[in-house]
Amino acid sequence: MRNNINTLFIANRGEIALRIIRTAKKLGLKTALGVSDADAGSRAAAEADHVARLGPAPSSQSYLNIEKVVAAAKEAGADAVHPGYGFLSENIKFARAVAEAGMVFVGPDPEALEAMGDKLKARAVAIEAGLPVVPGGEAETVEEAASIAGETGYPLLIKAVSGGGGRGMKRVDDEKDLKSQIGYAMSEAEAAFGDPRIYVERFIASGRHVEVQVIGDGTRAIHLGTRDCSIQRRFQKLVEEAPAPNIPDAKHRAIEDAAVKLAEHLHYKGAGTVEFLVDAETFDFFFLEMNARIQVEHPVTEEVTGVDIVEQQLLIADGAPLGYEQRDIEIQGAAIEVRINAEDPNADFRPSPGLVAKAEWPAGAGVRVDSHIRSGDNIPPTYDSLIGKLIVYGATREEAVARAAAALATLNVEGVKTTAPLHARIMDDARFKKGGVDTRFFEGLSAKGGANG
Amino acid sequence: MAEIKLVDVSIRDGNQSLWGATGLNTAQILGIAGAMDRVGFHACDFTSSTTMAVAIRYFQNNPWERIKRMRAAMPRTPLQFITTGLRFVAWQQADPEFMRLAYRRLQMAGIRRFIVLDPMHDPDAVIEAARIIKEEGDADVMGALTFTLSDIHTDEFYADFAGKLAKSNHVDLFYLKDPSGLMSPDRVKTLAPAVKAAIGAKPLEVHAHCTIGYGPLTSLTAADLGIIDAVHVGVGPLGDGSSLPEATRMVANLREAGHTVNINDAALAEVKDYWTKLAKAEGLPPGKPQSFDASFLRHQIAGGVMTTTRRQLQELNLEHKFDEVVEETERVRAELGYPIMVTPFPQMVMSQALFNVIGTKRYGQVSDQVIRYVMGKFGRPTSPIDEEIRQIILDRPRVKELEKEPMFPAYKDLRKQFGEDMDDEEFLFRAVMPEEQVDAMLAAGRSRDSYTPEAAPIMKLLKDLAARPDAPDIAVERKGFRMALYKGAGIAS
Repeated sequence: MRNNINTLFIANRGEIALRIIRTAKKLGLKTALGVSDADAGSRAAAEADHVARLGPAPSSQSYLNIEKVVAAAKEAGADAVHPGYGFLSENIKFARAVAEAGMVFVGPDPEALEAMGDKLKARAVAIEAGLPVVPGGEAETVEEAASIAGETGYPLLIKAVSGGGGRGMKRVDDEKDLKSQIGYAMSEAEAAFGDPRIYVERFIASGRHVEVQVIGDGTRAIHLGTRDCSIQRRFQKLVEEAPAPNIPDAKHRAIEDAAVKLAEHLHYKGAGTVEFLVDAETFDFFFLEMNARIQVEHPVTEEVTGVDIVEQQLLIADGAPLGYEQRDIEIQGAAIEVRINAEDPNADFRPSPGLVAKAEWPAGAGVRVDSHIRSGDNIPPTYDSLIGKLIVYGATREEAVARAAAALATLNVEGVKTTAPLHARIMDDARFKKGGVDTRFFEGLSAKGGANG
Repeated sequence: MAEIKLVDVSIRDGNQSLWGATGLNTAQILGIAGAMDRVGFHACDFTSSTTMAVAIRYFQNNPWERIKRMRAAMPRTPLQFITTGLRFVAWQQADPEFMRLAYRRLQMAGIRRFIVLDPMHDPDAVIEAARIIKEEGDADVMGALTFTLSDIHTDEFYADFAGKLAKSNHVDLFYLKDPSGLMSPDRVKTLAPAVKAAIGAKPLEVHAHCTIGYGPLTSLTAADLGIIDAVHVGVGPLGDGSSLPEATRMVANLREAGHTVNINDAALAEVKDYWTKLAKAEGLPPGKPQSFDASFLRHQIAGGVMTTTRRQLQELNLEHKFDEVVEETERVRAELGYPIMVTPFPQMVMSQALFNVIGTKRYGQVSDQVIRYVMGKFGRPTSPIDEEIRQIILDRPRVKELEKEPMFPAYKDLRKQFGEDMDDEEFLFRAVMPEEQVDAMLAAGRSRDSYTPEAAPIMKLLKDLAARPDAPDIAVERKGFRMALYKGAGIAS
């Protein structure tokens, strides 16, 4: 059983590029990095063995340009391409182009990418695999809608099929109101979108975003436990933790098992994340989607399991069987990640790019910082605003929260505004300290504290 | 001209031979696992119950976690465990049911290759241990032919022993194990073919320590015979000295002789570089090529035991008796039925020789270890003990007391003592190690998974500085780099 991968091309930037380079080096791989003109002086570029210029700063002309990225990887003599997250990581065309150029795409087979790439298709595949999804269905008539309501129960939501962003959405708490509400909804939908079709779905008043990290080698799959990413702002995750707190053991295991079932159904190869909506009151859980790539928040799972997820991705891509049995995976303690973004939390999260005069990151036992930014570095306005992830580990969740607060107190980034003060407030929030908050947490976060909170 | 594979002993035997108990911790091992896997070693000599105990005692590292994470980081290279058969940490023979559990959990954790070494060369003992291992998993079992020089350890002796083992389905392969480095190139020319003839198609490997300089030449001579599958090596500073031949040089020499060695040379260079930097950062002495020492062939006593004995004589103002003690050692060894000169036997034999020389009469004073050996507590001696000496020793009143010495408890009783539902992995160490050591290991939590030799001395310096009460805050600052330690911040503990 020989290695096929000797040189790895990293088709990404920022902290994740650095993260991948470090594990690749640990595995004894040569690393090649594609950079845009804006990133030529980046930390990742300094650490990679070989750097290839992809093109100008805009992603469409560099990181998102399939032809350029594949050509650069080929030119670097790469045997494999790691796409990181975002950019081309879940792009089927890219995965195929990499394979056609004779390189290994570090990720699942194109079939799995395809199955999970579209939300409706993913929902169908999940149902096929036996996973629970949010009960509901499409209706064209009042009778059909009433019949679906019989399955979903109350309260329920009526949505316009062609709608979006909350428009045309109606909540129904009681059966007696169903008929009239459906009537309104259909005529509103017709008027607004020219399409009277509606979708009837169970309404989950208090939901949590819980996801399960899975790894598979195409034959079998295991899970590395749960993460809770309920603290979001406009669907952007801000704080993530592992394991998901305050979920009854039996439900916790059922969620994990469901994720493994889906991964095995897909003959999934590599690392992936199965996302669920969990009812914060009943703990009923429903499949949402699967992310077929490494996640930003993967370090919290690494901290509580001791598994290097990037290492396993690379070994599996190289044809090795899964290095762990499920019984080897033991969740110890708790880990929390806060995303330090160059944004001003007191000005509607306006991006704050520019020169970082000083970047003093905390360190020490139980503290990990995944960042590509050091004092004197420049944050280009072109890309996302993540400048670092502070990950803390504690033997208990209380210890982890306290450690996160202590680490945030010593973190010092000057020159740009960051989300660090916001995170300090979150760590101090009674609801967060208790654990198990729902996705509406952010709305209720106290605005106390000034710009530097 | 043959294809020769390499078995890397750096982490277990190399570390133990050269760096002893203060050797490698889990983070240092995991730091290079991925690159090691790329070299293409046939196997990696990884651990034993003793090194597992060392991991707990000195590093508070969980040895089970160490195996699992290592297996995950190097899926292509089988990890090897060495055992004397029915012992686990404790010196006594353990209950076979206890060993069965140990072998099951070791294989579940990721051990793919076992060495069964019976110091007395008792074929029944080896086959029995091999059978239990095979019943608990699918790892390979390698029989150890432990080389020593004596009137009875002839080529025929080894061929006969190997032949008996080879008949068992439970023993898959063999190796000529020369822990003291006594096997000359001439000797391997007759010994290896005699053994190979007895084991047929089952593979044979060579493990020749470099203690007196024979290791590299004997390994190369063995490879030239065309009947050897693999040569055991240590990488960089973990080769040579009293360890195995250094890998890079061995590969070059094998290729020079026309053999094929299918390894990734760049990966090997990287591993060597890592160990070299680590040795330097930690102040661990690298193995060096050894000068030939003809006298060693006679007394076979390793340097450490020699030094201890010399010091003991000095303390008694009897240093002039040293040569006499060495001579007496040879005599005692013959009388005790030629135990192989591997721990604990050299210490046992030489201290008996010391008692014989400085005492009023031979065997006037006898250590408990020697009494236990004569009582058969270490197993069946290779050749009969001198009858007269046996009687003298067994007539000692101490024998009655040692007979009452508690043996290794029954598995059932241990289970009762520690609770039927205690996790197997924890149970296996609770049963054989002091409670506080296991507690401390469990409390320490998971090991770190990486080690940077370049940063290690700085980290140590900062740690020492931080421990000083008069240095609450420490900052190291230079252009583009700042590292600060704050006392009481609660995160730099």
